[in-house]
Amino acid sequence: MPEQRVVSVSEAMSLARNVLETVCLRVVGEVSEVADKPGYRAAYFTLSDGEAAMPCLMWRESYAASGVTLACGMLVELSGNFSAYVPKGRLQFVARSLTSAGEGHLRLRVAELARRLEAEGLMRPERKRPLPAYPARIGVVTSPRGKAVHDVIRTLRRRYPVAEVLIAGVPVEGTNAPSMIVEGLAAAVAARCDVVLVVRGGGSYEDLMPFNHESVARAIASCPIPVVSGIGHEPDTSIADMVADLRASTPTAAAESVAPSVEEVNATLVKTGRMLDRALHHRVQLAVHRVLLLVNRPVFTDCSVLTGAMAQTLDHAQMALRRALPRRLADDCERVERLVREVGRAGSHYLERAGESVSRNAARLHDLSPLEILGRGYAVCRTADGGAVIRSAAQVDRGDRVNVLLGSGRLACLVESSESEVSDG
Amino acid sequence: MGEPACVPPGEMSFSEALGELESIVASLETGQLELEESLARYQRGVELLQALRAKLGEAQQKVTALMGELESEPVDAEG
Repeated sequence: MPEQRVVSVSEAMSLARNVLETVCLRVVGEVSEVADKPGYRAAYFTLSDGEAAMPCLMWRESYAASGVTLACGMLVELSGNFSAYVPKGRLQFVARSLTSAGEGHLRLRVAELARRLEAEGLMRPERKRPLPAYPARIGVVTSPRGKAVHDVIRTLRRRYPVAEVLIAGVPVEGTNAPSMIVEGLAAAVAARCDVVLVVRGGGSYEDLMPFNHESVARAIASCPIPVVSGIGHEPDTSIADMVADLRASTPTAAAESVAPSVEEVNATLVKTGRMLDRALHHRVQLAVHRVLLLVNRPVFTDCSVLTGAMAQTLDHAQMALRRALPRRLADDCERVERLVREVGRAGSHYLERAGESVSRNAARLHDLSPLEILGRGYAVCRTADGGAVIRSAAQVDRGDRVNVLLGSGRLACLVESSESEVSDG
Repeated sequence: MGEPACVPPGEMSFSEALGELESIVASLETGQLELEESLARYQRGVELLQALRAKLGEAQQKVTALMGELESEPVDAEG
């Protein structure tokens, strides 16, 4: 090995610069990070293609001559040579000429991927799932270092300490960031999270590239639990934002969107408690109302209701009876009159016949009358005291008074003697 | 009718308990339940409500690292 001369840092850097300045190139790339202030003697910017970055400068005169105004995301073509800024030991590309190459190359690639995923329907609004209102476990896929993770933790602690927070700490920049983000999502799912946040703080457009990666976009779209993105890079929208169920502008906003605030929950509980009370009160009132309805039913207020039907039946019967009786009476009267008339007719007829009979019998009676016999000379003797007809002399004694009825007149006699047997003849 | 096995409210997640409470309120609001059933549900609702309030009041956020090592908060002092 040949002996090498020992040099100072300045010499070393000058040597490097001399070598670098021999490398003249035409480079195409996307502009990120521009520092173009009026006082500067050069415009400073970074050129990138998503995989590598290159610090550039362009002297004020050349820059003004190019007629291009540098802006982030611009795709430009430079020609120039490498150099080194010796005091800082920094590599840089010194652009001699600058032309715009239209929309940034990275953006073109990202836009193309976005179009492809959109065509597959991964960004359709109907794919967006509602977030759980009260998540028990919240997954967070982000860098374990930096502001973003702590913004999320602080926000969740303040708003909704009920939920458990599970952090999948992954690199969010660099070549392995996409695969690690995918792994982080899977870890949150495996830990039975109800929702997962994919967040990072602001950065340059290249910093955002892992969130524009196809594998990350597909993992978010196919994630079995809702995903909220919070990638702080306004006004840029990453593909992760487009396929997430909800896009929040920052990590803090993502945390706010995923959990209710304790105050809100408290208010909900108070309201629900009131509704519970009111509902029961209402139900009890309903029961009371039903009982009151029953209590006020006529059965309970007026017992005549119970016998009413029977009483009415009786009334009806009575009324029917009243209506029926006069008719019966009239019928009866008529019958009586008819009978009376008939009797009358029959009576006069009968009297005629009776008259005839009486006169016939009177003649016969006359024939049979004892007076008629007396008229022929017979007499009837009776005891004076009893009037009994004396048929035998033995019935009287001497001295008895007897009355003798003659055919005409009467004799009061005193018995002088009596003989029981009168031999006739 | 309804819940055959009543899980003790303390063993339920916040959203499970709140979900059951909401369904109890909804069923009570129909006014279709028997009075006894209404009272039973009301009682369950009150238990759930108490458990939910307790959960909210006592909650201490639990943070677990699934992957990577969580760096302590750089701005802890002001937070």
